[in-house]
Amino acid sequence: MPPIIFYLLTLATFAAIYGTLVIGLNIQWGYAGILDFMYIAFVAVGGYVTSLLMMPPATPGMGETYILGLNWPFIPAIIAGGLCASLLALLVGLVSLNRLRSDYFAIVTVAAGLILWTIAGNDTPLVNGWDGISGIPQPFANALNLDINSYGFFFLGLCLVILILVYIFAERLYRSPFGRALRCVREDEMVAQGLGKNVFVLRMKAFVIGAFIAGIGGALLVTYVDAFNPSAWTSGETFFLWAALLLGGSANNRGAMLGALLVPVLFAEATRFLPTFNSSPQLVDAIRYIAIGILLLLTIRFRPQGIIAEPRFRVPRRLFHRIGTNLPVAVAANSTRPTIVAEEEKTDGK
Amino acid sequence: MQTLNLLLLSAGFGVITASILAIAAVGLSLQFGVTNYINFAYGDLLTFGIYVAFVCNQRLGLTIWVGLLAAIILTALLAWLLNLFILQPFADRGNSPIIMLVVTLGVSLILQNVILAVFGSQFQNYAVNTGRPLHLGPFLFTPLQLSIIGLAIVAMVGVHVLLRYTRLGRAMRAVSDSPELARVSGINTRFIINAVWVLTGALAGLSGVVLALNVASFTPTVGYGFLFVIFAAVILGGIGRPYGAMAGALIVGIATEMSAAFISSEYKDAIAFVILIIALLIRPQGIFASRGRA
Repeated sequence: MPPIIFYLLTLATFAAIYGTLVIGLNIQWGYAGILDFMYIAFVAVGGYVTSLLMMPPATPGMGETYILGLNWPFIPAIIAGGLCASLLALLVGLVSLNRLRSDYFAIVTVAAGLILWTIAGNDTPLVNGWDGISGIPQPFANALNLDINSYGFFFLGLCLVILILVYIFAERLYRSPFGRALRCVREDEMVAQGLGKNVFVLRMKAFVIGAFIAGIGGALLVTYVDAFNPSAWTSGETFFLWAALLLGGSANNRGAMLGALLVPVLFAEATRFLPTFNSSPQLVDAIRYIAIGILLLLTIRFRPQGIIAEPRFRVPRRLFHRIGTNLPVAVAANSTRPTIVAEEEKTDGK
Repeated sequence: MQTLNLLLLSAGFGVITASILAIAAVGLSLQFGVTNYINFAYGDLLTFGIYVAFVCNQRLGLTIWVGLLAAIILTALLAWLLNLFILQPFADRGNSPIIMLVVTLGVSLILQNVILAVFGSQFQNYAVNTGRPLHLGPFLFTPLQLSIIGLAIVAMVGVHVLLRYTRLGRAMRAVSDSPELARVSGINTRFIINAVWVLTGALAGLSGVVLALNVASFTPTVGYGFLFVIFAAVILGGIGRPYGAMAGALIVGIATEMSAAFISSEYKDAIAFVILIIALLIRPQGIFASRGRA
């Protein structure tokens, strides 16, 4: 395989994986307005659990220590990875999602993420500490018995199938009554409460579903790169995903995928070609993060809704007839379809 | 007896950490009081101060106390400019506190990585003489640590006098209580907000340098890591309440240092985060919020 094909294959695989991850974040932030700054921890939990379930038991004296090691096949392992991420979200959500203002909740998520990170790094018997795990079995590799090139295409296919499934699921979720209720919670908690919605349960569901998708994406990411340690999931990585979502378009899954393509993939790849300076090897990384910061600020300043904005909410015709006409509905003069113009006065980043 | 000594010794370290934390927590709390959004870039203001003093001390060969003064002045300037050119314009556009939080996150990424790009990620330290440790009862302090405690006391008394007995301080408290009421009472709220940012920056610079003096070596992420310990103290004391922040700092500082006597000091920060989470869960309004506004 020519190097350029291999390179593009790698990019495409990363794009598919990050697309999945950003859609998961979109369900939490875009749909429900949850400020989750520990998203990368859910990714890590999914990745660790899936890998550890698939790996053979740790052999004492080989230098790597980890728990589990059950030789599971890929499919149950990835589902278990997603479920464990959800379980973590459930725990974090149960203790803090219903009591705290969303900015306090954000602080709790950062703190919870840092606690997990500290434990993963320092408690070596758990996941081999700062050195991390390596030699993770590749999904279906034994059953398929492909050569390395064809396997690359197979893995891309696997990631794309999962991305498409996640996308269809997220779109259906958005259009469902549950999705509408979530957006109502996001826009105005009081209104949702007034209409008899249980705001806590709605938020909780969105948080847990998003974490499940994070876990699935994490499983793909870790089995693809074949090694994982705490330096791969610092809190900075979360901000990459956040920048991707805000730039692409919150509450819009196509926007989320575009953001995933632009920020973690193209942007991170483009900066790879910057000259490296031997005197300060951290310089490229630093410039990358500075640019992400500037990108965040520029997005919020000039295009708070993102590149692909959330579609305006349209009232279905049948619903419109049922409710009657005495609703404060703005009817566009030349439109056959009445639309509620959902432009807010204040731009809150959607 | 051994354990008791160890505990008292760590309590002594706790007092030093608490002093540093108190300065930082009061600065963060004051700013939250008047602007009503959480500043994730605050830790990086500390880092900025640390590196200003580093340049004065190690590159220009001045004493650390000149560096400290420069750090206070330049960090105050940076905080003021940050508010003037970035944060205030964003707030003026009606962005919610949540979006403002994301904005400060972006600022934090930029600030931290500019410092990283300039100074690199290697550990740095100040050329400073810690002096011979002195026994004060069961405690053991170096003269340097005693001066950290002294600086913290001076800063706290200074903030107290400012808030209690000056027109400016009264206006700050008024804006913090209710910006609208303050405005109709003829207070120039915009000026007050800028003044608070200058004060916040000065406190950040001061606490940054004393933090670096205490931990002896530092990297460009030191402030960001410390930020969550500061959050723990601020939230424990009730966010937006400078006096609560002082008490919160004392609790968090002593608890984290004393925990190091029992479990690995690697988990010291994790202990602060656990305190933070427990504090948020039990009393999100802060433990000292019994009277006055919630």
